Amino acid sequence: MDRGECVSLLPRVCEVLRDSGRSLPDDTSLEKLLDWFSGLTEAGGSLLEAHPCLLEFISTVVNKTSSDPDVISFALKLSGLIAATEDGFETLQERSVLDLTFNQRHWQEAGLWEDPCIRIGWIQGVRSMLQHSKALGFFVQADFIVPLLQLQTDSSLFVAAAANQTLAHVLLFFQPALSAGCNGTVKSQGSDTRTREHPGVTTAETDHDYSAVLVAISEYLKGSLVRGEENTRLHQSRQILKLLALLLARAAPPLRDKLLRTVADPLEELVTAGCSRLMPPLMDIVLAANSSSSVPDQRVTRLLSSMLNTNKPADRLRAAAAFLHSGHRDTVHTVRAVRILLLPLDIITGQTLLGADTSEEHRFSMVEQLKSKTTCVSMVCVCLTNTPQITLMPPDLLPCPLVVIVSAVLSLLRICCGDSSSGGCAEVFRNVIGSGKVQKCALEVLACLSSSPGVKDELTEVVTVLIQYLNDPDSDPTVIHKSYQALVKWMSVCEDLSSVTDLLRRDLSEVVRKRVCDMRWEVRDSTVEFLGKLAAVPKSAEETRDGTWPGSCSSAPLLREALQDPESYVRASAVAALAQTLARGWQQGAALTQEQTDIVSRLLEILSQDTEGFARRAVLQYFIAWFSSRASHTSPPSSSTTSSSSSSSLLVNSVSSILSLGSADLDWEVKVHTLELAELLLDEALSGHRGYRKGPETPPAPLHPYAVVPDRTSTLRMQGAESDSAGALSDLVERGVVSALLSGLVDCDRPVGLKACQLLITLRDTICPPPLETLDATPATATVARVSCELPACGWGREIRKILGANKCDKAKEADVAGETREEGKGEGNDGVSVCEMLRSLGLDARLDVLSQSSDHVHNSPLSLLQDILTASAAHTRQDMQPGQEVIVDCY
Amino acid sequence: MKLYCLSGHPTLPCNVLKFKSTTIMLDCGLDTTSVLNFLPLPLVHSPRLSKLPSWVSKDGAVNLEKELKECAGRVFVDSQPEFCLPEKELLDLSTIDVILISNYHCMMALPYITEHTGFTGTVYATEPTLQIGRLLMEELVNFMERVPKAQAATCWKNKEIQRMLPGPLKDAVDVWTWKRSYSMQEVNSALSKVQLVGYSQKVELFGAVQVSPLSSGYSLGSSNWIIQSHHEKVSYVSGSSLLTTHPQPMDQSSLKNSDVLILTGLTQMPTANPDGMLAEFCSNLAMTIRAGGNVLVPCYSSGVIYDLLECLYQFIDNASLGTTPFYFISPVANSSLEFSQIFAEWLCHNKQSKVYLPEPPFPHAELIQTNKLKHYPSIHGDFSSDFRQPCVVFTGHPSLRFGDVVHFMELWGKSSLNTIIFTEPDFSYLDALAPYQPLAMKCVYCPIDTRLNFHQVSKLLKEVQPLHVVCPEQYTQPPLSQSHRSDLMLELQPPPMPYRRCSVLNLPFRRRYERIYILPELANSLVPSEIKPGISVATVSAVLHSKDNKHTLQSVPKPPPAPPSKKRKRVMEEPPVVQAPKPLLSGAVPLEAFLATLKKHGITEVKVEETADGHILHLQAEDTLIQLEEDGTHIVCDNNEPLRTSLRDLVLRFLQKL
Repeated sequence: MDRGECVSLLPRVCEVLRDSGRSLPDDTSLEKLLDWFSGLTEAGGSLLEAHPCLLEFISTVVNKTSSDPDVISFALKLSGLIAATEDGFETLQERSVLDLTFNQRHWQEAGLWEDPCIRIGWIQGVRSMLQHSKALGFFVQADFIVPLLQLQTDSSLFVAAAANQTLAHVLLFFQPALSAGCNGTVKSQGSDTRTREHPGVTTAETDHDYSAVLVAISEYLKGSLVRGEENTRLHQSRQILKLLALLLARAAPPLRDKLLRTVADPLEELVTAGCSRLMPPLMDIVLAANSSSSVPDQRVTRLLSSMLNTNKPADRLRAAAAFLHSGHRDTVHTVRAVRILLLPLDIITGQTLLGADTSEEHRFSMVEQLKSKTTCVSMVCVCLTNTPQITLMPPDLLPCPLVVIVSAVLSLLRICCGDSSSGGCAEVFRNVIGSGKVQKCALEVLACLSSSPGVKDELTEVVTVLIQYLNDPDSDPTVIHKSYQALVKWMSVCEDLSSVTDLLRRDLSEVVRKRVCDMRWEVRDSTVEFLGKLAAVPKSAEETRDGTWPGSCSSAPLLREALQDPESYVRASAVAALAQTLARGWQQGAALTQEQTDIVSRLLEILSQDTEGFARRAVLQYFIAWFSSRASHTSPPSSSTTSSSSSSSLLVNSVSSILSLGSADLDWEVKVHTLELAELLLDEALSGHRGYRKGPETPPAPLHPYAVVPDRTSTLRMQGAESDSAGALSDLVERGVVSALLSGLVDCDRPVGLKACQLLITLRDTICPPPLETLDATPATATVARVSCELPACGWGREIRKILGANKCDKAKEADVAGETREEGKGEGNDGVSVCEMLRSLGLDARLDVLSQSSDHVHNSPLSLLQDILTASAAHTRQDMQPGQEVIVDCY
Repeated sequence: MKLYCLSGHPTLPCNVLKFKSTTIMLDCGLDTTSVLNFLPLPLVHSPRLSKLPSWVSKDGAVNLEKELKECAGRVFVDSQPEFCLPEKELLDLSTIDVILISNYHCMMALPYITEHTGFTGTVYATEPTLQIGRLLMEELVNFMERVPKAQAATCWKNKEIQRMLPGPLKDAVDVWTWKRSYSMQEVNSALSKVQLVGYSQKVELFGAVQVSPLSSGYSLGSSNWIIQSHHEKVSYVSGSSLLTTHPQPMDQSSLKNSDVLILTGLTQMPTANPDGMLAEFCSNLAMTIRAGGNVLVPCYSSGVIYDLLECLYQFIDNASLGTTPFYFISPVANSSLEFSQIFAEWLCHNKQSKVYLPEPPFPHAELIQTNKLKHYPSIHGDFSSDFRQPCVVFTGHPSLRFGDVVHFMELWGKSSLNTIIFTEPDFSYLDALAPYQPLAMKCVYCPIDTRLNFHQVSKLLKEVQPLHVVCPEQYTQPPLSQSHRSDLMLELQPPPMPYRRCSVLNLPFRRRYERIYILPELANSLVPSEIKPGISVATVSAVLHSKDNKHTLQSVPKPPPAPPSKKRKRVMEEPPVVQAPKPLLSGAVPLEAFLATLKKHGITEVKVEETADGHILHLQAEDTLIQLEEDGTHIVCDNNEPLRTSLRDLVLRFLQKL
């Protein structure tokens, strides 16, 4: 809507930029401007047609070398953007702007090339321009390839990376069209822009240009790689390897073959040279080359083999991990990689993971590495983090059954605790004893391994070790947390827990009782969380009856105790865990226990008194969970029919206090949760009504109040449904749902207002009849319309009344003071306001529009940007002084 | 330099260092683990203990009805508990000049050493060490004396009988040296020999060595000692801690550049991290209280208990234990709690600053003010009227053999709701509990030992770099129960010298230099001559005077004029003329130049022969040999004195004279 204004402002902005680029409001302004322009281009418009002033701007800026470098850089990028379309390109060339703009010598002579922002502008301009064959022609003719290759090893990392991207773009974007068989691959690799813009443009000229570029780049790659082994060349080698990885990942077979033919030998030389710091990029190349072809290339395979055979254990391990992650399923190498990755575990634990053949050639060097503390921990962690991946392999690729891996991990965990009955490598033990990092990794792996087939036999061992970890006074809180997670995982996966009954009943409950009293709140928190999760673990009825389960019955007292914890996180977790523990009771609709009553009153106390938001949020989530589980398990609701002593009635009775406490909370998240609870109540009350659509994802109900809503079920029971409506509505009013929604609507926090507004619209569209004067009123609709609610005299009530008053004035176009006072008098007199009437006159739809926009939508609009630039420059010229301090950051 | 090792206990050391004619005893720890072989001493008559069956050997041959009782499969001596003293036969204790005490736990054998052995020296210790050490001794005596036992069992110590006894009794060593507790009088007498020192104070011992205590960070007033002469430095490290608990932090830098470092008193619980144990202590305590049980903490009346109380102070509110009473029962409870508040200069910096504020340095003062912590001298009297359960009781002795703790064991042992939490690392908790079996009470072992662990000590040694390290042999190999834990031992280059009870070590360095003073008038008479740039040499004739290990050069006294003798006159012989000393020669004769000189003097036929030490010049015409060696020159020339003299002069030309 402000496009016209933008068009009128832009010339002045250009003027400002030309004259005083330094006075920009902030250093992202130009970027934002550029974003706006590229947005316009992507939308299909022609920039020059829409904003002819830009041409003038560019030609002035590039001619005037005294301009601010940032503005020049901006102009360079902008020219590239304009030249991206053939029309734009031609226009720029006609005005002979293009030659000068991208003339690198021009900038060098002006002494500006030293500035990295000019270089990056140049590169990005070239990169944006290269979208059509004319641009390619220009690129080759002007011999841009030489400076671009130089920039590839620029001292500025940003410049170097951009140059790399551009080089890759040239080769990939213009790679020759393919035979039909491979077309699909290319399209999926993102060159569809090209096919769309230039359907089938492959002139002989383009081919010629392209091969020139290809030759230049290949020569460069070949030449630089060979010289790349010196330390000073490390940076260059790394850049080249990155470029290669970029290229190989997306190159079509002809190009890929050509590239591989060129670089295979130098690459192999690099691999054998064994420079550790080049290993990761080399591995990237191998993986990229592998991923882009369906048939493995001989050269790539050879490279991979030699990487998996390097002499340095750490490099070998990394290569194996990278290979495994790439997801290639080349049997020979997978087997090799798995063996490499399992070797450290095999050495430390002494478990024969790799079979009887322990004469592994690299074993000795690995043992040596493991004896050093730092390398040991990192290598063991690499090995562990890849173990879950290994266990997903088909069994014939593994050197041992999964159960052996599990027992090796257990053995490692025991060693970490200082206990080692297994005969591993004792010299390495001291490096992992007490290492929290290794412990955490191993526990994570153990959790992952729970679902592997055939490992259930280890359950007793697993539980024993985990309890040992939980019991160990030296265990770090995070280690304890992970142990709990692993334990829950194993217990939920194993159907038959009879083998560990004793352990669970005696040792686990003992340790849990102790950890609930721990000094560190993190530990108490994880323990409480664990109790909740334990209750949620599916279990057979038999075990519940046995009482072998350490959950529910024994944990509830501990959790109740935790409700008084001095740390709010723990209180919050305790509330959540109680919800999970007691969920069973709700579902069965059992009779109300004293315990439940106590807990509910305690929770209401927390909601009204706790000083920390976490705990209060948790309380609301507790009730939400309870309510939704009730809704899904009991037959349609009606508070009056359930027996007064059931847990359900307790819930219903407490709802109105929760809603009123929750909506008066200071924390916006608590308020949103309150609205979520209100939504559940709405769901319950309105389900079965005509036009009711459930769920927050559904768009707000039809904007047009008279729109016909197709509904197959409700037409027949229209009459009855509407009389129900009145009941449902008054029920909602009574429970405080409507008040909660209204107070949310005028809340100062946007998420709260939005949510409330959506719910109110739903309510209005479902339940309120259209205004009386437009339709003939049935007795039923009249009943609905008569349902009223009270607005409190202050707070949100006053806000709502203000809106109502203002809207009324707008509509009636009258400013009758007497009328307003009468209305206010009406509100204060505690007379109810008709809900339906109110819902219709609150202007909810307009409000929703406002609330749906992000709070910075005004600030982020192009118009605002242009205005800002103008204002800043005005302020700048008026005050006529330099901004105090400038922070120059190498960030383009 | 020799080290005599009188105790085999690594944390209760007793060593004697002979260094530069001084004999210094380093600590005198009392090994109290021997009391575990005895039956507990109940304060109140215990029917259970009195009904224990006597032990009879299988064949019934040995019957020590009065001395040995059996309880839960183990045999205990029914007698006043006895302690294992430091070795007294290795050297004559009366020759000891001084005793240096490093902390109050390492002085408990002091009365045995200073009384009845002829000891006449001085004991050095810091003030808190003395005062708290006195409290601990007083407590020990009190524990023993208030439950007197008439008989002293000795028959079982008979070698023939002991060999037939079961279990740990059979393997107990040196049982004949075990002694009953000392008396208060002996304590007072022993402590009267203590001289107080402050950190870094230098104490001269007979002018030969200087000793000074350094803060060791382990307990109030605990110290390490530096023993040094002008050229040698020995550091004695005993019971040190790098943790930030209540005492002043450890002074590490002063330990640098030692020739020998004697390392004792490392943590007895290398695998139990004190922080983890403290947390464990608190959670077990809270768990028991919440379940309605009582908690018993057997502990010493000073030391870790201050940290425990401080930790509990913070924990009480968190765990909503605000209403649970805490009792501290010890004959010296009051003094211990009060003392800890007044030793300002010995506290860590954080607490030191609090001494000058209205707020007391230790939070236990607040616990006492708010009536959360109450202290009593014993279970009799006020305590019995205030006693409320569930509660937490801190009381001694950690061995569970004597003290008020015995009573609580009898009282609470039968209920599984109650918990005993061991925090002192000195006794094996299983052995301590043995005479109380069967026991229903829960038992938790949270040994809190803040002394250096192996990781810290290897860092420390890397920093202070002593030339040699001496330590108990226990530190040179992993603990028996964890033989694979190579991280739980000292690994040094060169390897440390291990010692055990009764070993005598020759410390591997020799006294190489002594400092000697020259009196000014003598120094004035010296005529130095420069032999190398910067090095001058002078000859000196003087009398060496040594006293109190100080050596002084004094001028030679003029011979007194002969006293005129009136009685008899005799022709006195001329007193022998004291020849002026010949000048000292130095330097070497350069061969080429010497040959050239010989040639100049007409000696041309010279045959040079190379030998192992130098050269032999054969002057063939003169039939003379000149042997030029590193430390001497000989001219062998028969009956040609003029030639010899001239040759001598030629040689002398090349040498420097003093």
